[in-house]
Amino acid sequence: MKFLCMECDEAMSLESTDGPERGSMSVVFGCPSCGRKIAMLTNAMETQVVRSLGVKIGGRTVPSEPMEMVRGSLVNRRRNISDTLGPVETSPQNVELEESKCPFTGMVNDAFDNKASIQWSDAARRRMERIPDFARQMVMKGVEDAAREQGLHEVTESVLDDVRGRLGM
Amino acid sequence: MQTYHDITHDGGSDIIGQVNDLANRTRSRLEGVDHVIAVMSGKGGVGKSSLTVNLAAALAEAGPVGIIDGDINGPSVGRMAGVRGRPLQRGALSILPALASGPSVIKVMSMDLFLEGETSPVLWDAPTQRDGYAWRGLMEAGALREFISDTEWGKLNYLLVDLPPGSDKLPNLADVLPAISGAIVVTLPSAVSLAVVGRSIQMAKEILDTPILGLVENMSGYVCPECGHLDELFPTGEVERLASEVEVPILGSVPFDPLISTCADQGRFYVREYPDRPAAASIRAIADKMITLL
Repeated sequence: MKFLCMECDEAMSLESTDGPERGSMSVVFGCPSCGRKIAMLTNAMETQVVRSLGVKIGGRTVPSEPMEMVRGSLVNRRRNISDTLGPVETSPQNVELEESKCPFTGMVNDAFDNKASIQWSDAARRRMERIPDFARQMVMKGVEDAAREQGLHEVTESVLDDVRGRLGM
Repeated sequence: MQTYHDITHDGGSDIIGQVNDLANRTRSRLEGVDHVIAVMSGKGGVGKSSLTVNLAAALAEAGPVGIIDGDINGPSVGRMAGVRGRPLQRGALSILPALASGPSVIKVMSMDLFLEGETSPVLWDAPTQRDGYAWRGLMEAGALREFISDTEWGKLNYLLVDLPPGSDKLPNLADVLPAISGAIVVTLPSAVSLAVVGRSIQMAKEILDTPILGLVENMSGYVCPECGHLDELFPTGEVERLASEVEVPILGSVPFDPLISTCADQGRFYVREYPDRPAAASIRAIADKMITLL
């Protein structure tokens, strides 16, 4: 996809990216001649299509991690997989660049690293073990997302009680 | 006014460059692989995966072999090769494949190795699961590409790619992996299977340069476990008719043997466990023909 400033008849350049915010990306292009700016706003489906292609809007600033898409996007992945393989992440010095130029890395990291940062109390984890294998990861993801929304770093029994109505647990 | 083709850059993302990088990564990863073989069938339930793991075991007697489970949504090769649940290990910018137990080298990469439970469905994290028809196929193609390009395959004589059913699967594989040495087409001797498989062969021949090495007739008969007598399961002659119609050779016929399924369930290689059974001999003969053809 390319953008053309019709007044100057000149190709526009990528200036900044923002998001994803509820699945939507804002990608700003500017005309190098007249300075006119336009923003491309993607819907959730368009965002996901770009992500699935394994490319990054704004370009890559660091090489991709092995199996980045599978490890970063699979919901029902094995729990110990990050222990053996390490997280899909970028080095700290590149985080700022990645955040400003590379929106889809943010999505991958959301899907992988941030999950690891939520702790589970033993009691809450035991309650999860009552859920069948095939559904457990999905439910845990939902609970962790709910905990994150509340600014929490640990899932306890009271957090589970709080979100069980919404998730139908 | 300039058109799309007049503008030589995409504004700063260099998407074409990124796509080329992905292709180069795949190419360099497979530098040590002598032959990539797709195992395909238009029809499901023809025994493609169990044939793939046993062909791999037969081929591995002469040197290292790899298997990619191309069935991203319905992986089964991990269990059949006895590697499900094995911990994955990281290599240099790669993931090491699971190594099947036994005297020869069989390396496996499958979605089986990434999933939490054996009955866990493959669900992709996404802002929304709605309208997934637009991107799920892309995610599957992306996963297959990563299995090829991000697995530390090392030196292999053969890399077998077990494709899921569907006449579009070989073209999809060719999109992410242009250098396919050849394809084997598995069919049952039933009229329905033959019709669907025939369609897949024609599609592969018409739109791809991939050579079809030949047809494998699976479950061609039933071997009595008591006396070893071979009985027919389906009408005979139909596979020969299809082979003649689509102009591909028949690599061999593999009789039905319940022990193939038992071994697959237990993660053991039938051709190793029961080398003297008629089906094992047939699979070995097919492997020998493949070696000759390649």
